Amino acid sequence: MTATQSLLFALLTPLASAALIAFFLRRRGALASYVSVAAAAAIFVFTVLAIRGMGEGVVASWDWLTFGNFNVSMGFLFDGTSATMLTMVAFVGFLIHVFSLGYMADDKARARFFGGLSIFMFSMLGIILADNLIMIFIFWELVGFSSYMLIGHYLDTEEAAAAAKKAFIVNRIGDLGFLVGIVYAYWHFGTTNLSEMQGIVAANSELISATIAALLACGFIGKSAQFPLHVWLPDAMAGPTPVSALIHAATMVAAGVYFLIRITFLFPESILCGIAILGTSVAVYAGFCAYGQNDIKKILAYSTLSQLGYMAAAFGLGYPGIALFHLITHAFFKALLFLGAGSIIHGCHHEQDIFKMGGIFKKMPVTSITFLLGVLALCGVYGFSGYFSKDAILIAAGLQGNVLFTLLTIGALLTAGYMGRLVWIVFFGKPKSEAAEHAHESGIAMLLPLIILAVLSVAGGYLSLWPEQLGQIIRDSKDDLHHLAGYDAMHFRVAILGSFAAIVGLLCSLLFYGWGASEDRLEKKAGPVYGFLKARLWFDEIYGYYVAKIQQRLANLLSVLDIFLIKGVLVRGSAGVVGIFSMASKSLHVGNIHGYVYWFLIGMIFFWVVATGLF
Amino acid sequence: MEHDTNSLILLAAILVPLLSGVIALLGGRLNTSALRSISALGFGIPLIIGIYLFCHFDASLVGEYNFELRAPTGLESIGIYLHLGLNAISLPLFLLAGVVGLAAGLYAMNSKAERLNLYLALLLFMLGGLMGTFASVDVFFFYFFHEFALIPTFIMIGMWGGAGRRGAAIEMTIYLTVGALLSLLGLIALYVQSGVDSFSLLELRNYLHEKPLGETVQSNIFALLLFGFGILVSLFPFHSWAPKGYAVAPSGAAMLHAGVLKKFGLYGLLQIAYPLLPAGGEHWFSLIVWLALGNILFIGLVTIAQKDLKMMLGYSSVMHMGYAFLGLATFSVVGVGGALLMMVAHGLSVALLFMLATCIYHRSQTFDMSAMGGLATKAPVLAAFFVAGTMASIGLPGFGNFWGEFTIFAALAETQHTRWIVAPAAIGIIISAIYGLRAVANIFFGQPKEGFAAHLESDSVVDMKLSEKLPALVLIVALVITGLFPRLLSDNANSELTNLYPVQDTLPHHEAIALPSTTDGHKELTH
Repeated sequence: MTATQSLLFALLTPLASAALIAFFLRRRGALASYVSVAAAAAIFVFTVLAIRGMGEGVVASWDWLTFGNFNVSMGFLFDGTSATMLTMVAFVGFLIHVFSLGYMADDKARARFFGGLSIFMFSMLGIILADNLIMIFIFWELVGFSSYMLIGHYLDTEEAAAAAKKAFIVNRIGDLGFLVGIVYAYWHFGTTNLSEMQGIVAANSELISATIAALLACGFIGKSAQFPLHVWLPDAMAGPTPVSALIHAATMVAAGVYFLIRITFLFPESILCGIAILGTSVAVYAGFCAYGQNDIKKILAYSTLSQLGYMAAAFGLGYPGIALFHLITHAFFKALLFLGAGSIIHGCHHEQDIFKMGGIFKKMPVTSITFLLGVLALCGVYGFSGYFSKDAILIAAGLQGNVLFTLLTIGALLTAGYMGRLVWIVFFGKPKSEAAEHAHESGIAMLLPLIILAVLSVAGGYLSLWPEQLGQIIRDSKDDLHHLAGYDAMHFRVAILGSFAAIVGLLCSLLFYGWGASEDRLEKKAGPVYGFLKARLWFDEIYGYYVAKIQQRLANLLSVLDIFLIKGVLVRGSAGVVGIFSMASKSLHVGNIHGYVYWFLIGMIFFWVVATGLF
Repeated sequence: MEHDTNSLILLAAILVPLLSGVIALLGGRLNTSALRSISALGFGIPLIIGIYLFCHFDASLVGEYNFELRAPTGLESIGIYLHLGLNAISLPLFLLAGVVGLAAGLYAMNSKAERLNLYLALLLFMLGGLMGTFASVDVFFFYFFHEFALIPTFIMIGMWGGAGRRGAAIEMTIYLTVGALLSLLGLIALYVQSGVDSFSLLELRNYLHEKPLGETVQSNIFALLLFGFGILVSLFPFHSWAPKGYAVAPSGAAMLHAGVLKKFGLYGLLQIAYPLLPAGGEHWFSLIVWLALGNILFIGLVTIAQKDLKMMLGYSSVMHMGYAFLGLATFSVVGVGGALLMMVAHGLSVALLFMLATCIYHRSQTFDMSAMGGLATKAPVLAAFFVAGTMASIGLPGFGNFWGEFTIFAALAETQHTRWIVAPAAIGIIISAIYGLRAVANIFFGQPKEGFAAHLESDSVVDMKLSEKLPALVLIVALVITGLFPRLLSDNANSELTNLYPVQDTLPHHEAIALPSTTDGHKELTH
């Protein structure tokens, strides 16, 4: 099998699985789940085959639509970057599928869930492999749809229904810019093919357009939930936890960053700088927000936002490889953390409030140990995967200036702090609720993915262990960094500061919140501060106000205007052509439909008579 | 001889539904199953013929018609013949009429309408008229068949319409009659001014290509056609008949009118007005753009305010017409091609949604979306179809509507003077997501509203029956086919449009450095 064929199979298998489930397995949840897991396994196998055959090169392109000089094609660009991303998505995706077997075993709509996962895998693979902007956009919209479908899985709850809608609409706002950017790019470069555009800007760098780059980056802002479109991601936690792990932590939200990496060459310095600032602010902002949350999944969601900010910062600083590096390690440990949270939630009978947990370590040892390894990786403790990638980002920031560096270091401190808060409260002390009292360790289908992800979270940062076909862009970016003046000193400084941040954050949170606390000490001691953090700068309130009080009122006003003004005055009352005719017809008829029919027939006969010359 | 047979087959696509309509109408004593078989033939055969002709379509006949048939009518003295044929622009719409006709027919056949035979007969007449409209080469018959299809619409609204049908029917009748009359005036003016003594579109086109009309004449005739056809397609601000009319129309009439008959106006602009009167199109360019933006933005916001499901669908259909007008306004192959795809896909999706709205009504007994909720738990298949229809209509890739919208956006960005329109027009993708997903959430998700909960418990609320699934499936499959394989329609249409519309040389050709395309493509970049 050639690499191209393997990729095609990898892409189409999940689509086939989704179609099979939708049409035939709707009522057979168990079978549907096996089909979906088998499809996920097949994706991984095909991915491995494709990477083995990479040497021969992948050339694949099909015309999809042509009108005049506008042409849309579908094709694969299978290089080191996409191979790396594909491997991660295929592997993590497979593990999460397996986890879902256990987690969703009792769900009534299991078939819909697994069908949704398959559609998601299909769409995500499309984004990864796409060789042009239009194809990326197509699959981009499709991941948005699968995300909508899976967030809304518990569709009889108002919360899930609202969150799904919000996620889709907020993403569409970003996609508006993305879409405009694509059509501008098409006529600007004469193509949207990634390699061709890269060749064009390499030949003439004056063609790089800040407008187009900024518009395309809007897509990233929506999908990766960056400011000001970040509001959908915390709400998206209303979906089942495996979905949060797969889509809203490891893969889809990271697709925004991946997209930026794919089009690095289109970015001028100014926009890169903007993205670096944006990412850094989100990294810090989301870190603060996490302290105001009591829902274990929402804490992790803000952590995801913050880490996406780090990736954006790395990209903005000019190191797309390092952004990809952090994307991959983050996928390992954040998938682990979400699945761990899922295991805890499952064990505690769907309790999500951390202050109602406690003492989980004794009840669920495997889940707890793997979760703790994930926490250490996220905090960037020396030797864990997160250390290597976050370290590289901090070095890159440190070599370019102090402001971003300081902010990102504060972000690291915040990370360790809120994760410490979560850990001390959830795992230790005494169980604080009936549910936590009866918590039980999960089954093997859920533990196995946790263990494998824990291994990856620990060891995933050692690039030398990676297959040689993968991660070339990461090595390149790291090399670039190495060659900069002052690297060694900065490396030393970051290692010290990073470890300091991790240790201080974890310890301080222990000292402040206490071992297995049953209430939030910050809330008790400094209510206004807690309230401020919980309010998350009132973005949801502002947007809510806009939707309810401005947009809806404008819509209602226009609706009234439409009925009275346009219908009543402009069209009917005016002396315009239409007005005359409508009045004429009104005076002729009294509203009897048959009358109109006769008039019509008489008119036709009259015309006929004139035409045939009888008149 | 095959050619002749195929022209007769084309004629059969018009005659079969008409004949079965007559049988259904006159055979009042037919038992139900005989009535059903007869009408099934009438609804099914046009689509089968459409697919057959699609397979035998010869795309090399650019600028001419396939399956031509020319029969005398007694009006030869002024150049009117029953002249039928299909080209790559009318073929997609001919197929659209067949698909929507079949779906509407399947749904109507199993409905519980009173005087079912009359209802089916009228639908069949409408379908026959529609097939004729898009199969006509002769401009007179093009118009005649349209009117022929329009009359049953009025009667059906009058007889089977919902509450408030009287006012809506009157308003709709006035608007549509005025629109039709204006376009008729325009067509006659075209005929008179050209002096070609023929209503054949082919002859008109060839003649006017040689001797174009003066600019003033062109722009005057174009205005008649623009406003005439525009009213029929609910061009802002002449749209108010549409939401109200569709809200009271019985499902079959709404499906065929909103889905197919309404496309008559756009088709007329696309196939007749723009190619024959290019200077007119240019003259009215700005006005069309502003009015189309009115459709998209003004009506889009009005759609958000709707609480009644059918009103919402009606307004959203008005809104989407704005895109088609923008595509036409670009006067480029790309834009017009996008408009053509949009017309076909929109016809399918709006027919699907109107049908599903009736399915919802049968379960909820109301169209008020704010009074529903939680229907998905009782009717998951209906929910799935409605979500699919909504997603298609708001332009999710995988359905044909996406290609229409996207191609139109691309066309707007093509030249400098239309580039600014892309951004305001694209705001529509957010607006449509808002009202579409709101409708889904209000009807199907969350907890049922007060009063509705008790209603949901009753046994009468069941999931979709086969008789409802089948027509919905017909439309969904067609939407997916246009979404996955747009080239089935676009390739032929492209050559035909290239013949009718100018192709600008706007695509830049930049120098490029060949980069290694294999695994280390990015290595080049970072060093």
